[in-house]
Parts: sequence; structure tokens; C-alpha cells
Amino acid sequence: MANTLRPYLTAVRSTLSAAMCLDNFSSQVVERHNKPEVEARMSKEVLLAPVVISRNENERVLIEASVNAVRVSIKIKQADDPERLLCHKFTRFLTQRAESFVVLRRKPVEGYDISFLITNVHTEQMYKHKLVDFILQFMEDVDKEISEMKLSINARARIVAETYLGQFIN
Amino acid sequence: MILLEYANRIIIETLRERFSNPITTSLNIADFDGVGYRLSTPESKTLLVVSMRMPCFGELLQYGAMDVLRREYGSMLEATPEPGFEVTLKVDIEKVPQDYSDREALIRKIALLKRNALAAPFEQAFDAQIDGRETPLMAIHYRDTEVFYVKAGTDRVTVIFSTEFKEEQDRILGKVFLQEFVDARRLPQIQNAPQVLYTNRDPPLELRGQPGLKDSENIGYVTFVLFPRHFSKEKREDTISKIQLFRDYLHYHIKCSKSYMHSRMRARVAEFLKVLNRAKPEPVNVEKKTIAGKTFKRS
Repeated sequence: MANTLRPYLTAVRSTLSAAMCLDNFSSQVVERHNKPEVEARMSKEVLLAPVVISRNENERVLIEASVNAVRVSIKIKQADDPERLLCHKFTRFLTQRAESFVVLRRKPVEGYDISFLITNVHTEQMYKHKLVDFILQFMEDVDKEISEMKLSINARARIVAETYLGQFIN
Repeated sequence: MILLEYANRIIIETLRERFSNPITTSLNIADFDGVGYRLSTPESKTLLVVSMRMPCFGELLQYGAMDVLRREYGSMLEATPEPGFEVTLKVDIEKVPQDYSDREALIRKIALLKRNALAAPFEQAFDAQIDGRETPLMAIHYRDTEVFYVKAGTDRVTVIFSTEFKEEQDRILGKVFLQEFVDARRLPQIQNAPQVLYTNRDPPLELRGQPGLKDSENIGYVTFVLFPRHFSKEKREDTISKIQLFRDYLHYHIKCSKSYMHSRMRARVAEFLKVLNRAKPEPVNVEKKTIAGKTFKRS
């Protein structure tokens, strides 16, 4: 599994680094407006072609770049009901804390579980390569966390069932 | 704290205190499954009245709950319960045994009021099975939407719980937990435990044709198959107490794993924030202070 994960993450990393070339850009349509073009979608010529990098049908990343902002959406692997539940809980938990995660978008793009919006302000205030590191680390850890939580729930359920039934013997 | 206690802890503690120091009391206590208690001293400080409210008591009466209660509580049991309650016990504190262990036994017995009332259908089924009789299906609507059924067969007693999960999350977690109950018997050391069967949505064969069965994705049925070795003389009391607590036990652990997940996510979010903050460069122009406390700026 790790051998498909590595190229996947490398592809995401290089695409993101390339897309992170952002500049301050005021709106061409409304005077004195300065909005992330990838969200406002007011002028077509400043939007770049979106890129989808997928590892398999359940895991993919959508990177939409524009002149002054880049939007990264991640679809997290969910194989069964408990994983879906954990993923839902976890992304909800994160989006509710979106203020502290300055780059996190409150609502994911449709078809994805979690989205980040990185604007030129962020890239000016923060190191670009570290921002890319953060997204990559996030992608790695989220999978790890969900599978660990699932394992711990199963382990707990087993212990609970064994203890309960064990009472009837002695 | 994996297992829950069968007795009501608040009642135990209150009685222990009141028996040594009788004072005027009026206390409302809640228990599992919508059961409520009231401890009061309406006549005098030394005459303690313990009343229990129980939604399914009418059904339990049909299955001989009064006999069980009379056997357990004897003269303490009042013929007419307090208004609004189903069972009333009267304890004269002046006549409470002085010996420590006798007194503790009495306290424990009173705290097991709910358990003893619910024990009636089980006792009936166990007795019938030992005599080789079958009993009709006894349904106890112990909660608003959940029912448990007890039935004695020729060689076994089956106890069926209908479980309903209100929330989607609970339903998913409940499924994981119940599946483990079914699988747990594969372990060699608990092969003698009662067999557990779990079906989602479809009621088991014993319940076919019962009135009031709801058809919904949220409903599951858990069947315990008890063989005579599980309700032999020595084990019977324990088995009854434990099987009654099944639902509470299951839900308690579902809640526990949710709170565990929550605390884990908190930790993980803190970790992510740390990674994100690494991306922020150190502020370059920090205000510096001289030893005297004055500030200055480097231009």
C-alpha cells in the first residue's frame, strides 16, 4: 500500500507547489474588490485548469488554481459505515475550528470531504513550502487517524463483549 | 469500570447515611429505563418511605412481580403504593438491624428494587424450563420504543431485546458492538457463555406475528439463548441481574467510545495546528527591552 501512497503524495506535492504561485490581484469586475478568484469566478481568464489527482476511486485530491488563490479539496477513503462515520465526525470537528486553521474552508467542495483555500495573503504571511508540508501531513495523518480510531473502536467492542459474556460463566 | 452495578448507588449511599442519622428526607432519584424513586419521611424522621415509579409495572404484575417483591421485601412492602408510584416500601429506621453486615444486606436489598421487579418474568421462565414446561412469549415494554421478550422453551430460555438507535452514529457503532457480541463466543474461554444472535430489521422467528413490531432500519434484535447451566440455583440471581443491564451496558459503552473519539480528535487537531503554525515565519521585529525596562525600536 505504501508504494502507491508515495507517488500519490509526490504528485500532490509538486502540483501544489506549482499552483502556489499566487499574486495580489484585484477584481476586474467590481472596483475595490479583492477576492479569491477561484471562489468568486467572475472572470474566466484568471482561472487555471483544475487538476484531479486520484489514488483510486475513493481517494482523490482536486486542486483548483487561480491567479490569487488555490483551492485544495480532499476526498478521504471511506470503505465502510464506521469509517464513514469517523470521517464525517472528524471533518466536522475540523471545520468547526476553521478560524484557527486559517487556510481551512468551512464547507467542503461538493463531492469532497474537506477543502482548503489558500490565498495570496496566506502565501505572503507564511512559507509556501511549509504550507504544502501542512497539506501533505494532513493527508497522511487523516488516514492514519481514521484507521486507528476504527481499530480502537473494534478493540473496545471486543473487550466489552467478552467481559459481558464472560460474566455468565463464572 | 467496565461493568455497571445493578443496585442504585444513590439509594445505597442515602440509606447508609439515614440509617445512622435519621433526618427529614425528600429525594427524587432516577434510574435506567425511565424508572424513578422517591425517598421521603412523611410521618416521622425514623419512618422512611421508598417508592418506585416504573412505566412497565402493569406488565410485570401479570408475570408475578408482586410475588417476587413480597418474597424479597416481606412486611416492608406496602399494600397500597403512594399515589403516582407503583411500589412503596416502608422502612422503620428504629428497627433496622444493628449488625453491620445485616444492615448492609438490607440496604442493598432496597437498592435492588428495580432489579427485583424486573426479575419476575425471568424467574417464571426459568422455573418453567426446569419443570420442562414452555411459557408463552412474555413481552415487557421497559422503554418507550424498546421491548424485551422472555420465553421458555423445552430446553432453553430465550431473551430477546429489541434495540432502537435514535441517532445514525449510535446505530453504526451499535452494529459494530453487537457484531462483537455475536463473534465473542468463538473464543475458547467463553464458549460456554450464552449464545448471542443479532439481526437487523428482521425480527427473529420467535417474534413473528407479534403485534407492535416496527419495521425500520434503526431497529435490531438481540437474542440471548440461555441453557439450564446459566440459570442453575447458584447462578440464577446473577444471570437475571446481568441480562437486565444489557441495554444500559451497550449504550454506556457506545457513549464511552464516542467520548474517546472526541478526545482523540482534540489531540489530533492540536497537532495539525502545530504543523500549520510552523508555516508562519518568526516575527522579525520584536520589541526589545533594556535592562531598565525601557523599550526601543531598531530603525
